[in-house]
Amino acid sequence: MNEHVTPWLGPYHDGELQGRRLRQVEDHLEHCAACRTELEQLRKLSALLQESPVAVTSTSPDRFVAQVGLRIPRRQEKPAWQKVLETGWRLTPAGLVGAWAFVQTVFIVAGIALIALQVGAGIDVLGLEIPQGETWLSAGLGSVLGLMGAELGNTARTILHLLGTLGWAIVLYLTALVVIGMLYWSWLASLWARRRHQELQSQTS
Amino acid sequence: MNGRSALSTEAERDMIAQAQQGNRHAFGELVRCHREGMVNVVYRMCGDANLAEDAAQEAFIRAWKHLPGYRPKSPFRNWLYRIATNAALDVLRRERETVDIDELPLATPGEGPEAALEKTERGERVRQAVLALPQASRAVLVLREYEGLSYKEISETLSIPIGTVMSRLNYARNRLRETLAPYLEAL
Repeated sequence: MNEHVTPWLGPYHDGELQGRRLRQVEDHLEHCAACRTELEQLRKLSALLQESPVAVTSTSPDRFVAQVGLRIPRRQEKPAWQKVLETGWRLTPAGLVGAWAFVQTVFIVAGIALIALQVGAGIDVLGLEIPQGETWLSAGLGSVLGLMGAELGNTARTILHLLGTLGWAIVLYLTALVVIGMLYWSWLASLWARRRHQELQSQTS
Repeated sequence: MNGRSALSTEAERDMIAQAQQGNRHAFGELVRCHREGMVNVVYRMCGDANLAEDAAQEAFIRAWKHLPGYRPKSPFRNWLYRIATNAALDVLRRERETVDIDELPLATPGEGPEAALEKTERGERVRQAVLALPQASRAVLVLREYEGLSYKEISETLSIPIGTVMSRLNYARNRLRETLAPYLEAL
């Protein structure tokens, strides 16, 4: 004889068992008279509990609804500035996605334009002189490389100028992404806090 | 089982959305649908029909106040029952010194003959046995036996793990089987 399934008889009676456990209890019940008696007791108890009288109330449903209606407070209309703030808060994710798309577009378009100009007509098309030491990168490394000879120095300076411009663009791009990301996470955190607050309020009611 | 909503799920969702926007008429319809279930949950918990009615009204008022925060991830009925259970516990706390289970009014018999009287008396014993259970076990038993909630729904309604639901239900049933043994044998 298998071990009795007494702890599972309640969940079995309530239709809460599934799968292997359900089959185990059913198999056991086929062979165990004691557990069948236990189950029968649970069924009788459920039937007996239904004999307990329901609430006999003196108030009709209509009157009850009317009484509740009289007691519920009017919802206070939110002031206009609060509504504007609320709408702005709700639109924040869309705004951030827009900002992200804008930054991406600017970076890609600027990158393509720069490359096209470099490849197609050379850097002079920009009409820019390449001042020595324009950026910290070109200034620092340029002075070191300048020692390696004028020819090599000019080429290096051109490359470093490009790298410097590109470097600043990348720094700006990454900064924009980080700021957008931080704003988005802040918004998510405020959303979570708001939901949690509402859940707590609802639980304590 | 009592208090089943007469509204379809769709209609109820629509009513909830309207009530969340401040529509008092829509909320009235929700009250009408869930009144019986709410009153009975509180009644089974506290044992006095008049107190139950007051507490159910109080629970609906709390529901109205917190309705904007309700999210339909759990059934509306369960959300209401959570509020009703809390309201019932508040009533019990408030009335602890004034309400004595043995002095609670007997339910008015609906049938005249002696058999009905005997049934009423048995029902009264059952009611008192349920009321004599500890509050925590009683709440689980009421939601399961009278309102037909699943273990998962009870767990969500009372914010307790499913394992606790099972152990409290087992405890309540064992206690009731002892208390009501003569009536169970007679069935």
